[in-house]
Amino acid sequence: MSAALLEDAVVAAQGDGRPSRRGTRWRRLLGFVVPLVLLGLWQVVAEVELLSPRLLPPPSVVAEQFWVFFFGETGTLTLAGVVPFTGAGGDHLLSSLRRAGIGWLLAVGVGTLVGLMLGLSALARDLLDPVLNALRAVPIFAWLPLALVWFGIGEGAARALIFIGALWPVLVAVGDATSRVPRSYVETAQMLGTPRRWLWRKVYLPSALPEVVTGLRLSLTLAWTVVIVGELSGTTSGVGAMMNAARESGRTDQVVVGILVFAAVGLVADVLLRLATRRWVRWADA
Amino acid sequence: MSGTLVARGLGKAFGDLVVLDGIDLEAQAGQVLAVLGPSGCGKSTLLRVLAGFEPPTSGEVLLDGRPVSGPSPQRGMVAQAGGLFPWLPLRENLSFGPAASGRPAAEVREVVDELLSATGLDGFADALPKQLSGGMRQRASIAQVLANRPPVLLLDEPFGALDAQTRLRMHEWLLELLAERPTTTLLVTHDVEEALLLGDRLCLLSNRPATVVDTQPVPFGTGRGRAVLADPAFVQMKAAVLERVLAA
Repeated sequence: MSAALLEDAVVAAQGDGRPSRRGTRWRRLLGFVVPLVLLGLWQVVAEVELLSPRLLPPPSVVAEQFWVFFFGETGTLTLAGVVPFTGAGGDHLLSSLRRAGIGWLLAVGVGTLVGLMLGLSALARDLLDPVLNALRAVPIFAWLPLALVWFGIGEGAARALIFIGALWPVLVAVGDATSRVPRSYVETAQMLGTPRRWLWRKVYLPSALPEVVTGLRLSLTLAWTVVIVGELSGTTSGVGAMMNAARESGRTDQVVVGILVFAAVGLVADVLLRLATRRWVRWADA
Repeated sequence: MSGTLVARGLGKAFGDLVVLDGIDLEAQAGQVLAVLGPSGCGKSTLLRVLAGFEPPTSGEVLLDGRPVSGPSPQRGMVAQAGGLFPWLPLRENLSFGPAASGRPAAEVREVVDELLSATGLDGFADALPKQLSGGMRQRASIAQVLANRPPVLLLDEPFGALDAQTRLRMHEWLLELLAERPTTTLLVTHDVEEALLLGDRLCLLSNRPATVVDTQPVPFGTGRGRAVLADPAFVQMKAAVLERVLAA
């Protein structure tokens, strides 16, 4: 018997047929080529003053402002009278992160709860689906006036918008994923003696997790996107508030600094979330 | 020895569609009852009713004389696709049942270690199901159910998706496994050779709506293996039974 069993053990040990990582590693470096070329072009265009520096400041100036934003002497420059710039980068970034984080966590909590209800109960689905689909179709900017009326200019409106923006991907992913958990998993678990009250933790949650994680990533991206909408609604702290004030002061270079900060943080957050959840979703990798 | 599973007047209909019509059968303690029937006759439905996944429309299922209903670790079922949870490593898949019934961790570990070696999967405790071959997955699925030490094992064409050579190896492996730990087994199949090789008794079903046409002993004794395939008596019985299945 053991000889026979060993044969297919060898088949199984031969790996899952994915291309080797060495090939992908140097190809990944290609991703840096395009940004470097763009950066060079940008510098040249700005150098020969093809475009006015007011429209397109050269990268060197932006880099300098980036440095000043984070490490300059605090309080030497205040935009539009109220929004600090020099040395205020860290504070702005923290307050944007806090805002996005709070809105996102709220969205994850509410989205998971409502999504589970939709996924596990046909009654909830029949009751809520039409309403939710209609609300989901409302563009995030359309909530802005109402958010301002309800929560006032500033923090409340910003959090409400981030919450609404980040809610849908979580809710839809959790709902879809749990409603599509194969019945055979549930039956097997019950047959093996799993009490009904543990099914969601032992079967529904792990089975749905890969799709849910995709929803969480999308939702985090959206939360980070909507931060700027929230901060345009009149906060005096946050990267978005700085950019708005910089625009009012005609400082395109500082506006571009804000864009770079958003891009960097979005990228880092996505990578961190992917690393944090990799262990749970390894089984679903193609 | 306990573990006698009896179906008495078992009927199942989905709306107007009658699938099972008064099935009477008995899987005797420690024996393998092979249930053979034409494709689409309702064999899988029968097994799902016996496992408690579907309530019968009429009749009842008795385990050692007591009526049973609903899925339970007492009647371990392995479907054709197997029951492994793709997100759990093999060890955790095998521990799933005993852990769900709250058995102590040390005991679970011991049971699982023993099953891993009985299935020849010692080296794969940390592998995910997708990293295993089809034969390994089916052995693991059977082990997952046996970890609960069920008095009754229900197998729904467990080797149907495997190639012929692998299937024959699985048959010999299963015979060995059941010899080591006698478990009442009800094996549903459309493969006559599989039924005669594994079954102690043979139960023949008719076309839908399924009824029991005949129950007969399989006379090839214990300790059979691939050698019996060449036995003229085996060949003859295989042909005769196949004829009856096709005529059913």
